[in-house]
Amino acid sequence: MPATYGLIDGNSFYCSAERAFDPALRHVPVVVLSNNDGCAIARTPEAKALGIKMGDPWHLVRGRAELRPVRWMSSNYTLYGDMSRRVYQVLAERVPRVEPYSIDEMFLDLDVPRDLALFCAELRQEVLHIAKVPTCVGWGPTKTIAKLANGLAKDFSELGGLCDLTDPAERAAWYQRLPVGEVWGIGGRTQEKLARLGIESIADFVEADPRIMRDLLTVVGGRVQMELRGTSCLPLQMMVATRKGLACTRAFGRPVTQWSEMREAVAAYAHRAAEKLRAEDLEACHLAVFIHTDPHAPGERYEHLQHAARIEPTSDSRDLIAEAVRMAEGLWQDGRRWVKAGVVLNDLQPAGRQARLFATREPRASAKTMAVMDAINRQHGAGTLRPAAIGIAQNWGTRRTMLSPRYTTRIGEIMRVRAF
Amino acid sequence: MAQDGYTGAETTGFVSPASDHLEGPIDLSEVLDLRRPNRYPVRVLGEALIDRGILPGDVLIADAAADPRPGAVAIVMLHGEVLVAQLAHKRGQWWLRPGRRDQPAVPVSEDMTLWAVVAALVRERV
Repeated sequence: MPATYGLIDGNSFYCSAERAFDPALRHVPVVVLSNNDGCAIARTPEAKALGIKMGDPWHLVRGRAELRPVRWMSSNYTLYGDMSRRVYQVLAERVPRVEPYSIDEMFLDLDVPRDLALFCAELRQEVLHIAKVPTCVGWGPTKTIAKLANGLAKDFSELGGLCDLTDPAERAAWYQRLPVGEVWGIGGRTQEKLARLGIESIADFVEADPRIMRDLLTVVGGRVQMELRGTSCLPLQMMVATRKGLACTRAFGRPVTQWSEMREAVAAYAHRAAEKLRAEDLEACHLAVFIHTDPHAPGERYEHLQHAARIEPTSDSRDLIAEAVRMAEGLWQDGRRWVKAGVVLNDLQPAGRQARLFATREPRASAKTMAVMDAINRQHGAGTLRPAAIGIAQNWGTRRTMLSPRYTTRIGEIMRVRAF
Repeated sequence: MAQDGYTGAETTGFVSPASDHLEGPIDLSEVLDLRRPNRYPVRVLGEALIDRGILPGDVLIADAAADPRPGAVAIVMLHGEVLVAQLAHKRGQWWLRPGRRDQPAVPVSEDMTLWAVVAALVRERV
């Protein structure tokens, strides 16, 4: 177990990824919007200073005069994913181990024979230079402390993007100042429970009787307390745990009222889920489909319908499309405005594990067809070859009107540079 | 594996003597090191660097980890624009040397970002 854990995370990661390739975004407020250009999900400090909050709906705030300088961007997950990959690679070559915790946060094993303040400062520089994303780094004897340190590095600009909580005395001073809700894993509900016992600051929580904490917050809360005291309970997770389930759910670009469109959407989601399944060499034994209307639409009854069933183990797009479309057809009602659908696969197992006594499909032929389709799509771009059921125009698809180029993954969209 | 499944080994009549020696097609990602986090392909606009052998439409492989050196071609961001320019080092500082003789060199300043150094060039059509 490492003596020191670090957490590095990208500052306004999505916005920073956009800025990396577009110098016109450098000095203006930038906001990245959720799928369908719905609401703000990433903001640069300039955008925060203008009062834009996480979750602000774009169509409601876009007209405000003071927000005129803001550059609104659709989310370009292809780009963000590739930039996250670059950050990971830079880190993995410099520290013993890296755990990618989310697209923009990575835990680090910081057992390096170096002065950590200097080392982490260099790490930030190299990530910025090579992966083009500004970051903050926090570190300490446990993951929970590293996460807290990272939050401080982000919130207190005088720390210069770095925060070291290795020293118990320094930690104790911060613990006095900070509410317990700042701790990773302590949510609003837990915070309320603790407040009833008079526990407000992190220091109060750390000093509380561990048995009482375990009774109140279960073993999970007990672990958080241990970690804050400096005893590591959460190791770095190197392997992504085998998935229990996998889903493809998405809101439509506009309400869907035609069965033909819903059928295409469900087929497309089933196909995408099947692709994910095959990428991990898994098969699904259980399938669920849901569709629902807008819960906030005035004067419309909210309808959320789903159907789930066991299926013969498969990862074949054609099987999953057929089953999912059949389920969706059973749920479909005319005259309603459906805003979202989803396909959820469960009971996943390694592909081809069981010989099937009553198999109705020929698994080897199926595997071969799918492998060819996946290979073509890898080589020529996603969606080059696809089942006809998912449609061509996809009018129900995601609305992304301010989408930047996929600068790093499509040869036709790479950054343009003017010869000087 | 080739898309139709034949790699040079799956013969039906005579066993292919090549089957133990197959290597697959040349992978240009490998040659150009495109899997490295520091490598970014970019596309050239404009004719200013023709004398340097860089044509409009060329794909340059920019390397964000490479150190600048005099004579190198670099990608820089300046005043909201992305430029590809030759670097020079004179009188203790870096300059962008224009490809066209009738233009003055520009000193590399604080408000300029040296984004990457060009490491390779790909011309899709000759």
